[in-house]
Parts: sequence; C-alpha cells; structure tokens
Amino acid sequence: MADNTTHSNTGRAGTEPTEAKPVEAPKMLKAKINGVDVEVKAGTSIIEAFHQNGQSIAHYCWHPGLSVAGVCRLCMVEIEGNPRLQIACNTAVTEGMVVNNASEKVKEAVKWGLDFHLINHPLDCPICDQAGECGLQDQYMAYGKYDPEMAERKVKKHKVVDLGPRVVLDTERCILCSRCVRFTDEVSKSNELGIFNRGDRAEIGTFDGKPLNNNYSTNVVDICPVGALTSKDFRFRQRVWFLREHNTICTGCSTGCNTRAFYNKEGVFRIKPNYHKDVNGYWMCDVGRDVYKFANKEARLLDARVRGEWMVPSLAAKKTGEALRGGGNKVAFVVTGQYTNEEYDALLGFAKNEVGTSNVFHWINNPETIEAFDGLLLRGDRNPNTRGLMDRLASSSLSAKWPELVQGLTSGAITTVVVAGPENQSQFPDLKAKIMELSKAAKLVWLQAGKNDQLEALDGDVTLIPLKTYLEKDGTFVNYKGIAQTVKKGLSIVPASLSITEVVELMRGAPAVEAPSDVDQVGVGRIYNEFTLVRGNL
Amino acid sequence: MSFKLSADGVKYVQNELTRYESKQSAIIRALYRGQDENGGWVSPDVVAELSRVMDIPASQIEEVSTFYTMFNKQPVGKYHIQVCCTLTCGMLGGRELTDAMMKEAGCKTYGDVSPDGLFTFNKVECLGSCDTAPMLQINRDPYIESLNTEKGLQLVRDLRAKGGRQ
Amino acid sequence: MAEVKYLSEHYHKKEYRTLAGYKANGGYEQLARALKMDKQKIIDEVKASGLRGRGGAGFPTGVKWGFLPNNGEPRYLLCNADESEPGTFKDRVMMEKAPHQLIEGMIISAYAVGAKKAYIYIRGEYMGPAMILEDAIREARDAGYIGKNILGSGVDVELDLYLGAGAYICGEETGLISSLEGYKGQPKLKPPFPAVQGYLKKPTIVNNVETLAAVVNIIRDGGAGYRKYGTEKSAGTKLFSLSGNVQKPGTYEVPLGYPLMDFINIECGGLLPGRKLKAVVPGGSSAPVLTAAECADATLDYENMAAKGSMLGSGAIIVIDDSYCMVDVLSTITHFYHHESCGQCTPCREGTGWIEKIIHSITHGEGKPGDVDLLLKISDQMKGRTICALSDAAALPVLSFVTKFRDEFEYFIREKKSKVKGTQIYAQMHPSLGGAH
Repeated sequence: MADNTTHSNTGRAGTEPTEAKPVEAPKMLKAKINGVDVEVKAGTSIIEAFHQNGQSIAHYCWHPGLSVAGVCRLCMVEIEGNPRLQIACNTAVTEGMVVNNASEKVKEAVKWGLDFHLINHPLDCPICDQAGECGLQDQYMAYGKYDPEMAERKVKKHKVVDLGPRVVLDTERCILCSRCVRFTDEVSKSNELGIFNRGDRAEIGTFDGKPLNNNYSTNVVDICPVGALTSKDFRFRQRVWFLREHNTICTGCSTGCNTRAFYNKEGVFRIKPNYHKDVNGYWMCDVGRDVYKFANKEARLLDARVRGEWMVPSLAAKKTGEALRGGGNKVAFVVTGQYTNEEYDALLGFAKNEVGTSNVFHWINNPETIEAFDGLLLRGDRNPNTRGLMDRLASSSLSAKWPELVQGLTSGAITTVVVAGPENQSQFPDLKAKIMELSKAAKLVWLQAGKNDQLEALDGDVTLIPLKTYLEKDGTFVNYKGIAQTVKKGLSIVPASLSITEVVELMRGAPAVEAPSDVDQVGVGRIYNEFTLVRGNL
Repeated sequence: MSFKLSADGVKYVQNELTRYESKQSAIIRALYRGQDENGGWVSPDVVAELSRVMDIPASQIEEVSTFYTMFNKQPVGKYHIQVCCTLTCGMLGGRELTDAMMKEAGCKTYGDVSPDGLFTFNKVECLGSCDTAPMLQINRDPYIESLNTEKGLQLVRDLRAKGGRQ
Repeated sequence: MAEVKYLSEHYHKKEYRTLAGYKANGGYEQLARALKMDKQKIIDEVKASGLRGRGGAGFPTGVKWGFLPNNGEPRYLLCNADESEPGTFKDRVMMEKAPHQLIEGMIISAYAVGAKKAYIYIRGEYMGPAMILEDAIREARDAGYIGKNILGSGVDVELDLYLGAGAYICGEETGLISSLEGYKGQPKLKPPFPAVQGYLKKPTIVNNVETLAAVVNIIRDGGAGYRKYGTEKSAGTKLFSLSGNVQKPGTYEVPLGYPLMDFINIECGGLLPGRKLKAVVPGGSSAPVLTAAECADATLDYENMAAKGSMLGSGAIIVIDDSYCMVDVLSTITHFYHHESCGQCTPCREGTGWIEKIIHSITHGEGKPGDVDLLLKISDQMKGRTICALSDAAALPVLSFVTKFRDEFEYFIREKKSKVKGTQIYAQMHPSLGGAH
C-alpha cells in the first residue's frame, strides 16, 4: 500500500522537516471509536483518529495536506453526550470521548449527504475518466442510499473547460469540495482557482479564462475526489482498472519525490505522488509527471548498436569489456547523476580496478541553474542522484575536471570514452553539444535507455548499449539532503536492456546470455486511493 | 485592458485599501466604484483593473463580485429596477408588478436591457421594507415604496420621460 | 397593555437623527456616565438586564461578552446591520430615526468589551440608512464621541461603516466576518467561535443594531431598571416589524410577552375587512409558521414561541389571511433560501435548490404524488447538518407549512391548481416568467 494514504498531522509539502528536539512525549488521549479503545495525540481530529486506527469514515472535502473546509458534511459522527451530529474533520478528540459513525442516525445522515452530492451530478460514469477511482462511486458503494428520489431538472453548468496546459474541468461533475481551490491558495500559492457564484450555481474556475498554469497543477487532478478535474495527459487513454501500480521515486530532480507509476503491458500511463513526510508531503510537480514518457517502448533503444550494426545488448557489453580492460588513462568515463549508487559502485570500481584509469568525469547537465529551487519541490539539479555520485567520486579520489577531458581528447591522450548518458534526455539541454564533443574520441561507448537519432547516426567505432530505466531495476538514490531512497524493479519494458551493474558484470567477463525471459508484467490491477482504503472489505 | 479607473477612482480605491484593518476589505467598495465607472456593471476588465490597482489576485475579486448580488455581471440599463418579491412583497403583488413594469418598459426577461437602453429589471430578495410592500430599488438609490401596478407603470413612464443616457 | 416607547421614545422627532437633536433629548449622556464606570460593571449590568440578542438567536448578550478570552489580543466589536431576514425591517427604522442611539450604544459596548475598533456592517441595499449613519458617524467623531481619548476618559474607540453588497448569509455572524474581511460572505467553521477567533482571527463580538441600542437604556436605568418590561426570561421591550395582510403594517415597540393577537389587532389595526386570519410567521421567514388557532394565545417572547415550536427570531411578523395560498407563499420563501444559500455545505446548497424545484413543479401544475412526503424528508435531512443555520432556516418553513397546511399542498398536486386561488396564482398566470432562476 502506498505511503501517501497514511494520514498525518505534519505540515505540507515543501516545508523542511524540523529536527525533532528532545521534548517531552506528546500528551496522549484515550477515546473510543465504534467501540474500540484508541489512543491519539492531543490535538488529533476525530477523522484523523479514525484513519490512524483503520476505521472507515466517509469524506470528500477533508484532505490531510490542506486546511479544514468542513463543507461536504459527510464525515458525520455521533459523540456521546452531544445530541447533534458533528463533523469529524473539525472536531478534536477529547479525553474519554466516545464516538461512532455506525449508528442509524449517522448512517442516515451520510446516506442523505451523499444523495445531496449526487442530485445535480450528471452520473456520466461510462464516459468519465474518474470511473473506477471515483470518490462518489466508491463511497456510494459503502454508504449510498440506493433509492434516488430526485426527479427535477438538474442544474446546467460548464463542461469540458480547458483550464490550462494539463487540466480539464467539468463543472457539472464538481461537488464543490474546494480541495483544488485550497490547493492553489495554500500549497502552490498561485491563486488561479476560485469558486464563483453561490449556492447551487457555484462553479470552480479561473478568472476570465486565465490558465491554471503552475508547475503543481496536476495535483488538483489527484485530489479531486470526482471526475471534475482530469489530466489532459491521461484522460481517455486507459480505464484505471486496467492499470497496476508500482511505488517508486521520481528521478526528475534531486528532491526524489515518492511516486507511483501506473502501467500495464502497453506501458506506463501516469505518475502520481505518494506521501512522504520528509521528502514531498502529499504532492509532486508537473515536471515529475512526465518522468515516465522516456521509459515507454516508443522512446527506447531496443538493442545494442556496434559500429552501425544491431547486436544483442549482453553480447555488445561483453565485447566492449574486452576492449576496455587494462586500457589505463587512455580510457575516460563520463557519468551523469541519473543512476543508482549500486551502478556507480560497479562502474567506478571497474574503471579504477579493471580499466586502471583515474579519468572519471562528472557530466553536470545544467551548471548555471543547478542550485535553483522553486520553494516547493522542484530543484534545479534535474538528476535523482547527484549526491550519491559525488559521494562516490570523492571516496574513490576520482576528481578529474571537465577541461582535462576536453584537453585529453584534443591531444589524443584520451582515445576511448565510456558515457553513462542521461536516462531523462529532456532534462539535458547540452546533450547535443556533449555528443558532438565526446564523439571526437576514437572509440565511444554510450550507455543509455532512450533512443537518440544523433547517437545512432554517428560513424566509426561507436557502441550504444540500451539501459534499463528506474522502473525496471533495483537501486538507491540519495536526494539533495542526503535521504537515501530505494527503487525496486516494478516492470519490464525492454527486457533485453541492462542496468549499468549488469553491463559492468558483462564487461568484467560474465557470460553473455540471450535476452532474459523476463516477461512483461501484464495484468489487471486494483486501484487504491483514499476512498477505497477506507471502504473496508467490499 | 479596455477599462481603466479614473484618476479619482484610483485615489478612492487606494484610500479604501488603508481604510480597514486589512486591504481585502476594500474589495466591495472598489467593485462598487468600478461598476459605477463602467456604466453599471462589473465586466472582466473591471476585475482585472481592480486586481492591478489593488494588488489582489483577480480570482479573489471575481469570487466576491459573483457572490454578491449587487454587482451586475452583465450590462444593465440606466435604471436597474430591482423589485422585491420575497414573502410579503411576493404576497402583495411584487411579482405581478415586476412583470407589468417590464412589459411597459419593453423588457422581455429579467436582466435584459430595454431597447431604449433605459431599463433592466430583476426580482430581488427581501429588501427590508415589508411594511411598504410591494416596493423596489432603482440602482443603489433610496427605496421607492408602497407601490401598486398603476404607480409602477407611472414610474416607468416618468423615468422614460426623464430621459435617456447622458 | 399597549405599545411602549422605551427605545423608540423620540423616534417621532425628525431632529433626533442629528447630533444636536439627539443631544437635546438626552443623547450621549449615558456614554459620559459609562466611561466613568468600571468595564466589568457595565458587563454586569448588561448581564443583569437579561438582554438577549435581538438579531434572531436570542442569546444573552452579557454572557456572549463574557466569552472573550483575556489574552491581550486586540478585540473587535461588530454591529450586525445586515438585516435581511425576510419580514424584518426594524433595524432600518432604528438607523434612520436614531443613528446616534446606535453609535452611543456601540461606543459604550466597545468600551465595556475592550474593543478599540468597531464596525457597523450594513447591507448594501440600505444605502439610505448608510448615508444617514455616515453623516452621524462624522458628527460624532467631530464632537469627540468617536476616536482617541473620548470625552477626556483616555478611552479610544474607532468606529467605521462597512457596506455589504447583497447576501442574506452576511447576517450570520461568521458570514458577516468573512464579508468584512473582504471575502465571500461564507460562514466559518465553529469552533473557533468569534469571541475567541473572529474578525482577522481576533476576539470579536457581533451584536445586532437593536441589541447595541438597548445598552444605552441599560446604562441609564440599570440592569434591574431594564427588567421593568418583559418577562423573567424575555426581559425588556422589542421592536417588532409587522407586515402582510393588516390595516397598519409597520414597526412597533412592545414589552416582550405581549399578546400576538393584541399586536395584530391593536397596534396594526387588525385584518383587512372581510378577511380571516389563516397563519402568522412570527419571527422572520425562517420561523415555523403558526396557524390561526396557535396564534390565539401566543405571546411575543422567546419562551412562548419556543413552546409553540416556533421562534421569536428577529421579531418579524408576517400575517397571512384566508385569501392567500400557502403553497404560493412558501414558494417565495423556498426561492429565497435557494437564492441565498452560500453554497459551501452540500446539504444546504443542494437541498435548497431541490426543494425550490419541487415547489416550482407543484405551483406549475406538475407536482407528483409523493412530493409532499419528499419535501418533508429533504427538509428533515437539511436540519442540523451544516456550518450555519441557513439550512435549518430553509427547512423549518417547509416542514411547518407542509405539515400544517398539508391539504393545500396535496390539493395543488392533485388538482394542478391552488385550493385557495384556483389558477389565479402567479406561477400559472405567468408560466414563462415564474420560473426558478
């Protein structure tokens, strides 16, 4: 289960975690939820107490990363001694509180609360992208009235509103929970969205068609509990119940947001954030949303290419190894910050011990903006593991400077260059120039997951070896502040491709094999979200 | 941007910005001013201009302007006639009065402008003058009370005689 | 018993609205006295007076003042002059006839609760009273009753007027605060309550116009003196706004506990010739309607109205005689609440619209069997479910109209015309224009 369904009191994304000072243990309160004794920290709301203790409770507008709106009126609970039902999101647990959401009174209120949400909803599930992961659908299953009595005309509102580069709005589907508006007010602080008009004429939107165009805009699609906000990138491409989920780490920058990739045998279709208290909170940026496109087959180098001929990757790696071993300082290695610690260890070890070179160069793709930070999540260093690479270069005393490489290539002191190139080519504005520069070497070995026309067109002694992407291998990335996070192999898109570790093993002399019988993980997944989580065993 | 506040208008809005404990509180008065200077309605240009002058997000000003009924979101005639039709006024003929006056003025539906540009009618909710029902308010002027159909029709005629747009 | 001009003693004098006229009739004398009193003493007198909020909820004013935390934060006093409960117009009368009475009451109250800044929130439609108040505020400031070191007492109170722009919900105290803060007038979640975190998250007291004006008399006569009118639980006098089918509609001040039928027959001159009383809405449109029989022994006080299952509310009495169709009357009320729901809370946003559409269908001859029960079910589920009381306010008239005049609703659904007026009903005479909007 993804971590982002863990509800927590801690602040929102982008805030640096404050070092826990040795303070006295927080005051704990005892309460009873649906007959079960629970203990929660003072200040915990009832809805948080429900979630912390695995109890299900209906809700739409409450989101742990946003302020409390208290408007959907679904999280009704009965508190002993209080004749009036209360909303769990805005009521704090008190010592000895006895609370339930199982009484007939609560059930009736939730049933009707849901029905009020639905009377003006178009119920166009068959053509709605949210179907299958919809808060209305999922919660209706558990709490619904199953006896609709609305026979009047529904309110007509705007459909297919082009909100911006990434988001489409259907205001008839909107239940006015205000999550998206709170997001642009409180998290992105970009203030594009508002709720205009009042009563049942109210609609979310942007002022006068101004686009929703901030780098966090797709989060509003994630937090929209219904199909009102949908992703332009994802909509109509897959039914969500045909997708599986793989928990991973975003490689789009050095923040290392925890994410989920949604995929099936046709490839990866979208990325959503997973909650991580210290890294990304509940959110991720739009740049990170695209960190799957280079992994899909159509963007990939499918086989090795040696002097213009296609070759099985493992064989190409093995042959390359024979040429490199013992090459000494005539061989240079150029490494980007795109790979795992384990891969760096293998490659640097091979360079130092088997090749016997100290010429290892760190390719920094955007030195001018590498220190940039947008204040929320996105960092100028568009590599997942610059820190891991630099730590390893330092500890192996490999600290060659780029001008030495240029000089070595010009003078002929360096004849062979092995490049661990960019996995995410779109983040390397200098890629073209670097290929030109490095292709001056008499022998060029380029390791990379994605295809690149410029590389494939190079003449001479050029070897291209296809690599696995971060979704297809195990490994560790160290983010900008030193948090080490692991990725696991989740799926296989180009079965013949290799990790750098595997390339090094082959170069060291391990036997080459045919493409591993690594079958695509095909299948129908179960989409989990905050609403299905709390649904119990339906 | 086709709407610009007058120099006096800018001064007025800037004064309102410091009048209350927080600058957001100036939005309603600023919208009234913008509406007045824009011929009676709050166009998107008015919101954009106020956002610029006040340095407040346009979405927030738009939320306010669409929430309150006294900001017109489409053009209105010179006389925006708002007839109370709630409860007592409804019982005592406010709705029938509106329709009769609209017919006299040449307005087809609520909110539209009569061909001569003089009149727009809207039924509004309780204006707090139930003892003088039915009654109405023109623009933001003091109330016109204790009406009946005859008085209402005469009012339309009088206003028409008073004349067109200045 | 008869009308008592206790707060409205000088309202008939035109000059009373000016500073000179107000002072000539004893104005601002109580402010001078109050500023020499200990703050707590003023609060104690208000508590002793039994004064209850005159805006509608009837909460004891002194108790409300006592909720302010002693945390050293700046405090605000807000006057709720948003008067928009259908049927209510007594605050407008007070502001037009005696603006200085309100100002004096506010400065005394602000001093008592420790507020250095006070606002009058007046509804945007009340441009007439707003202009009168702005003049009065200017006069009072020039005379040293507002501002720094008032009357040499060392007390500072600033007072300003804030204009709304058309939204019933701004009469709800947290909706008023949102509006004053420059946002949509949407009510805020409670807790925190305004006394703890109100305007700009600071401790805030919101009182009605009539409540604050009454403070002047409480200072003059003492808490005990104020109690010479009214009943044990409903102390003092109140201004009632009466409208509808009577001879002399208007605003009249009577002691609380005054018989409703006397008020209708004596103060308001009784019904129109040949008409019979059918129903009375006793406390503004959200108060459950009373049948003529229920009115017979009704008295105008909080406890009697509560005992009858209704409420005194803002003191807005709407008299409905036998020539009116209850379905039609309810249609204007349901339209009102649909129009005024702020749209935050789902049950209110959706329920008010649903109810109006059902009533609309009925009045247009398209009612369905079962609609009456559905109206009751929907209304029942809107009660007690939302942030503020608008949802309840929308539900209560439906529940009471439909329950008490069920035959009129069932007749309309069955016969597709009004039991009282036949087809001579607005919705059927103007089918194209009579629609919900």
